[in-house]
Amino acid sequence: MRPAGHRFRNEIFIALLVVTNTLGNLFVAIGMDAMPEFRPGQLVSYSIRVLTNAWFVSGIALMMVWMVAQLSMFTWADLSYVLPMTASSYAFTAILGKFFLNERISPERWAGIALISFGVILVAETPAWTHSAPPPEEEP
Amino acid sequence: MRWVWLGVTVLSSTVGDLVSAKGMIAHGELEHFRPGRMARLLRYIGTNPHVITGIAFNALSFFSFLALLSVAELSFAVPATAVSYILKTALSHWYLGENVSARRWLGAACVAVGVYLIAF
Repeated sequence: MRPAGHRFRNEIFIALLVVTNTLGNLFVAIGMDAMPEFRPGQLVSYSIRVLTNAWFVSGIALMMVWMVAQLSMFTWADLSYVLPMTASSYAFTAILGKFFLNERISPERWAGIALISFGVILVAETPAWTHSAPPPEEEP
Repeated sequence: MRWVWLGVTVLSSTVGDLVSAKGMIAHGELEHFRPGRMARLLRYIGTNPHVITGIAFNALSFFSFLALLSVAELSFAVPATAVSYILKTALSHWYLGENVSARRWLGAACVAVGVYLIAF
């Protein structure tokens, strides 16, 4: 029996994973976009410029939150449950691009968004944890 | 060259996710998220051999994906990596002992085809 506080744990963590993954990738991409082309001879000065770029650093910070949140979720949910659920970020990225960047969404893309959404609904209806044993008790 | 980077990206991300999930399953269910508990969780993540190996493979996957993007278009890279959903679903049954029902398989397959289509 799970405590009542866990009722929306899966929903909250899926949302957290989607948001941190989507924004983390976006911020790193914006940061890298502002960088000049990499030349091996300028490794040190290039690294300093990357590591002082606010977009890049906040993107990496979001990716670290994403990684810890995903690892936490693996303690009570299947890998084969978590991965398809978080793939909804591909659909969100495409839809955000349409509304904020006025990107055109081709018919193939709409079909892809529909298929991902359908797949996420199917997986959401399966139990999150299917191991024969319940997750081991935590040490006190 | 793009097929080499693609292979490295897909394989290392698959190994990375499976091995780190293995390590986290052994941790046991995380029951709450108070600061002291989160500190212990971070220490576990930083010291468990499975989790460290998984993170290293995922880092390799991240950098080989960047390398892939330097030799191939996004419309090649993203659909090609969709195959990793199928690989990970199959291996999560075999390596982690998850019960992947027909419904979950269908869902994962729809997601993989959807990711393939979305890059067009």
